[in-house]
Amino acid sequence: MTLDDLTRTSGEWLRGAGPESDIVMCSRIRLARNLADFPFTNRASRSEKAEIEAHFKSALEGAKIEAGYFDVNGMSNLDRQFLVERQLISRELSSGEGPRGVAVTPKENIAIMVNEEDHLRIQYMLSGFRLPQVWDEITALDDQLEDDIAYAYSSSLGYLTACPTNVGTGIRVGVMVHLPGLVANKQIDKVFRALQKINLAVRGFYGEGSQAFGDFYQISNQQTLGKSEEELIKILTDVVPQVLQYERSARQELVTGRRQHLHDQVSRAYGVLKTAQTISSEETMLLLSSVRMGINLGLIDDLSIATVNELFIQTQPAFLQKLRGSELGVEERNVARASYLRSRLGNGRPVEEG
Amino acid sequence: MICQRCQNEASVHLTERVGGKRQELHLCAGCARKAGLVLPESAPDLGLESVVQSLIVQNVGELVGELAELACPDCGTRYMDYRTDGRLGCPQDYRVFSKGLLPSLQRFHGATRHVGKTARLRPAAVHRLRLRSQLREAVAREDYEAAARLRDQIRLKDTHA
Ligand SMILES: [Zn+2]
Ligand SMILES: [Zn+2]
Repeated sequence: MTLDDLTRTSGEWLRGAGPESDIVMCSRIRLARNLADFPFTNRASRSEKAEIEAHFKSALEGAKIEAGYFDVNGMSNLDRQFLVERQLISRELSSGEGPRGVAVTPKENIAIMVNEEDHLRIQYMLSGFRLPQVWDEITALDDQLEDDIAYAYSSSLGYLTACPTNVGTGIRVGVMVHLPGLVANKQIDKVFRALQKINLAVRGFYGEGSQAFGDFYQISNQQTLGKSEEELIKILTDVVPQVLQYERSARQELVTGRRQHLHDQVSRAYGVLKTAQTISSEETMLLLSSVRMGINLGLIDDLSIATVNELFIQTQPAFLQKLRGSELGVEERNVARASYLRSRLGNGRPVEEG
Repeated sequence: MICQRCQNEASVHLTERVGGKRQELHLCAGCARKAGLVLPESAPDLGLESVVQSLIVQNVGELVGELAELACPDCGTRYMDYRTDGRLGCPQDYRVFSKGLLPSLQRFHGATRHVGKTARLRPAAVHRLRLRSQLREAVAREDYEAAARLRDQIRLKDTHA
């Protein structure tokens, strides 16, 4: 599997399938793990990082997981950015140094980063709201890797991590939710404050410190010590439905209160995406968000959620440049983005108002 | 002794060696907290945990001084390095710095004991980290015989890994 192969496929997590997939784009669980006999990544020497990478590769082979390994060290900036855009590596791994990389399965549901803040960051993603299933999959994968790797673990503190904010279970349980209704009625901050009160973090699409992105937000646990993985998952499976309910009633208000206005907004968004000759990344996100909500509300019927989800990723700068096979400046990217959008949306048309 | 930042009585006394030079720092509890030194600040709740915590608060001057001196024998990370960048150096640091870490774990996670999935017991787990630090020390004191022996041990572990 090569990086170029990835430009021709898209991740399972973008499929727009699974429970609540109108609002929950995907469920994701990440496990932080370290090898017992090495310093953490920030203290490891170059040769130790190489050893860690080699140990991981042999464990991966032993686990018989069909995955490609991408060596991030020595990779071009563009390729690293491409992996960040696809949510396969973090910015931290991209900008790190020394031996490091990521193992990715063809469906992109599994990504295992090596020598990020922790030696291993195991990520499992599935479309829709299905955290228990993601947990079953990732814990089995964790067990398989453990056949060949002795993890840093203490019976009192659990899995030992480079940063004490991850110690214990080392788990980050998250869902990526699309909340244009709560953004439109300005209730979003209120919801976030409520979530923070119960120790849940709300982040942008690309993690800590990143911007809100087409009204997508990640909700995840912060506590990792003193509660089991199942308990932490249950907190999210209990709380997220309430957020979904707020979002649905916000959307319903928009539909009943200002149906014509909303339909107009959605249709214009769709129209611009289908016909623009040049378009910025920010405008694209904004319009795709409108269109995505429009599909959910039955205002557009000739476009799938999966296509819109894919477009969020495929209109990002690195993807467009990989597709063209050359580096592009901002202006050229805006033209390439518009042309790509036209090619993907060309035959669609908005629903006639009945 | 008065605080070097304000005129209050200093209760936190730090001595650090920076590049061979000895540096002293005397701070009151308030300024120490502002400087980011670990001082439990939340109101203690019930249980043994909180008793221990309030004891730590009472003896905080001593504790911070003691922590400032700590360094991990395996990876060389100092407690103050961790306070500066928030990252530990190796798995052993949790044991070495436990006095300073447990109160911050309690503050951040509301707990200090792991519940949940357990890792497999590894009676034969290799101790590469320890061997490597012994090797470093042996080389430093020019004990090449010991260094050669340790290097062989590490190689043996690698081939069995
Ligand atoms: Zn003072
Ligand atoms: Zn250490």
